[in-house]
Amino acid sequence: MEIEVQLTTEPIEPPPMGAVLRGGSCGAWAEFTGVVRGEEDGRPIAALEYEAYEPMALRVMRDILARLGERHPCHAVRVIHRVGIIPVGEAAIWIGVAAGHRQEAFAMLSEFMDELKKDVPIWKRRALGPEEMPLRQSAGA
Amino acid sequence: MMRILFFAQLKDVTGRAELEWPEAAAMSPAQLWDRLEQLWPAISVHRPATRLARNGEYVGGDTLLEPGDEVALIPPVSGG
Repeated sequence: MEIEVQLTTEPIEPPPMGAVLRGGSCGAWAEFTGVVRGEEDGRPIAALEYEAYEPMALRVMRDILARLGERHPCHAVRVIHRVGIIPVGEAAIWIGVAAGHRQEAFAMLSEFMDELKKDVPIWKRRALGPEEMPLRQSAGA
Repeated sequence: MMRILFFAQLKDVTGRAELEWPEAAAMSPAQLWDRLEQLWPAISVHRPATRLARNGEYVGGDTLLEPGDEVALIPPVSGG
């Protein structure tokens, strides 16, 4: 199974899966996108800041995917997790799975997200209120 | 030398992301925690829920931490 994992501070742009799908053995292509909600602990927010222990996070994600691939054989899995400040409505994580059939693809998506939330060293560091965003944006400009 | 990494709320407690320790001998995770609590007593509330990683691998309480290791304190994760 082809595995690609990536951490980025930039907005996530899902890569095309063309080559994998054109191989002719894939009957399913499933995607999941996790998006930052506009509320955290009951209060409105403008963004979440994520932090990662990057080398370990990448390795643990690869290990989880390889392990899940033994139970749910897929052709390819790609994961992109964004870190840093992520505005509400933007993707924190994107996963794409190519598989022979939908059952393996759905199982891979669902079980990977469960495992990610238990073992991958990535944290929601803090929520930023609406008042904090203009300052941050101008400071970074 | 042992390198200790702090993440998330542990970074707030210690006020730093990492610590270089001129450690000459191996120590157990319990010994590491005891020393960290001497430096930052407030870190103790995080001890029960925090896992240790040695050179990028989660370790149990019976693993010895050696000079030259990178030891990360991993509080409960919340990715995705």
